[in-house]
Amino acid sequence: MLVKESKQLTRDVFALTLEGQFDYDKVTAGRFVHVLIEDGKAHPLRRPISIASCDSHAKTLTLVYRVVGDGTLWLSKRIRGDTVSLLGPLGKGFVAPHKPGKVLIVGGGVGVPPLFQLAKELVQENFELDIVLGFRSQGDVFWTEEFAQFGRVTVCTEDGSLGEKGFVTAVIDVTNDWTTLYSCGPKAMLKALRNHFAGSTIQGYVSLEERMACGVGACWGCTCLDPSGSLAKRICKEGPVFSWEEVSL
Amino acid sequence: MTVDLTVDLGGLKLRNPVMPASGCFGFGREYSEYYSLDTLGAVVVKATTLKPRLGNPTPRVTEVTGGMLNAIGLANPGLSKVLTEELPWLERQNVPIFVNVAGDTVEDYCSVVDEVCRSGLAQAIELNVSCPNVELGGLAFGVNSSVLRGLVEEVRKVCTLPLYVKLSPNVTRIQDLAVAAASGGADGLSLINTLVGMQIDLATRKPALANKTGGLSGPAIKPVAVRMVYEVAREVNLPIVGMGGICSGRDVAEFIMAGAWAVEVGTANFTDPYACPRIVAELKSFMEAEGIKNLEEIRGCAL
Repeated sequence: MLVKESKQLTRDVFALTLEGQFDYDKVTAGRFVHVLIEDGKAHPLRRPISIASCDSHAKTLTLVYRVVGDGTLWLSKRIRGDTVSLLGPLGKGFVAPHKPGKVLIVGGGVGVPPLFQLAKELVQENFELDIVLGFRSQGDVFWTEEFAQFGRVTVCTEDGSLGEKGFVTAVIDVTNDWTTLYSCGPKAMLKALRNHFAGSTIQGYVSLEERMACGVGACWGCTCLDPSGSLAKRICKEGPVFSWEEVSL
Repeated sequence: MTVDLTVDLGGLKLRNPVMPASGCFGFGREYSEYYSLDTLGAVVVKATTLKPRLGNPTPRVTEVTGGMLNAIGLANPGLSKVLTEELPWLERQNVPIFVNVAGDTVEDYCSVVDEVCRSGLAQAIELNVSCPNVELGGLAFGVNSSVLRGLVEEVRKVCTLPLYVKLSPNVTRIQDLAVAAASGGADGLSLINTLVGMQIDLATRKPALANKTGGLSGPAIKPVAVRMVYEVAREVNLPIVGMGGICSGRDVAEFIMAGAWAVEVGTANFTDPYACPRIVAELKSFMEAEGIKNLEEIRGCAL
């Protein structure tokens, strides 16, 4: 696909908007693309990046990612007109709420992006959203205003430099009447959320991140375990989105 | 000019020399969504063990310059599921099947090989004595000549299919292990498995892989693999399936010239899901351009 725009959102987070031929019809929130770095010779492994936003009419796809190494650094330097090769969309995305009612969306750091496409899809289906976005510090915060068009947004930072101080769980009242919770972020956050809602009837979904090789389910590089610890699930194939009772966090 | 890509591996005929390597292609289902598997010379399935294995903790893959490290740890659904769910499906794809077999004990290896042979669902066995990522088995059998010979002799007694032994590069002289496998009764050799490596994550200041070490594969190891195929081909007169960093048709030609009869493609599948059929097409173009009518014409020509 062709780079339409590359934008720096924070010190190390970038948004890449691509245009052109893609299987837009197969995009659902939570699915990801596997991005080739250069021609793959120095970087044989593609980078799995979630789809932050997809516009099938304008034929554009936006990926938001953090620069963590050489591969993502190369990606951050693409400019309008450059070509980037994608594989996908891959994996299983978020499942729509089973019942009507209020929905809670919780994102942490670079776990926030796939929740944007999700919020967009849920609002189109008339769900009412509460959105909690957690970041390390003020300088790491992005897209909070963009999310505001979809629902009530609460921002928190670990150091209190913006919004509420502390982790996302500190601002979430479990007695609220949400039917469904969707979350993506560090594993510690996902686990804390699940514990926070222990005993509640809320249906929780988590999107997991892991280093991947093939991205299509063939290499078994990115597995997680079920709660009993006896069954492996491939994050790239059966996930990355799982109902939170079907995986061990 | 028409070129002949077929390979005769001691009676087992392949339509071309390119097969996906064990562990990089599951049991074929995932990549069959990208292309028809009957375009391949054969499929080498994921290492199969007697009991299901979950493998090592994650992270178990990481990229390094020109390659990757993996420490999957032989995760697989176990012999029973492989025989009832995976191989019957793969058999219908009209492609020869090599079943890669791993185990903790000689008895494990023999049981798995015996049942796979009896199932009638495979065309060859690839004995995995070179997995660097598990404590027991795998590499324990692959680095000592007399231990390897003993294992191959026992497996040979129950193995009614062509028996390929997959050799480890993590040895001082790979030719010695090749000779041991040959004298134990192997019909062919496949080489190389991955080289033991490590990467330190600068953020955590600890090894990037949970297993700490992992097997290095990808283009970075190709010269090592070519050298080892060459060395083994000079000493052992058995069909060799060469592998290690193959990404193009020209890479295949290089292995054939070093003495390989066929090749396996591993890491390249991850970079490009269409790698195997593309490599077959590139090999054909290379042969046409060079006026090479068949693979035998260049096999071992560098020796």
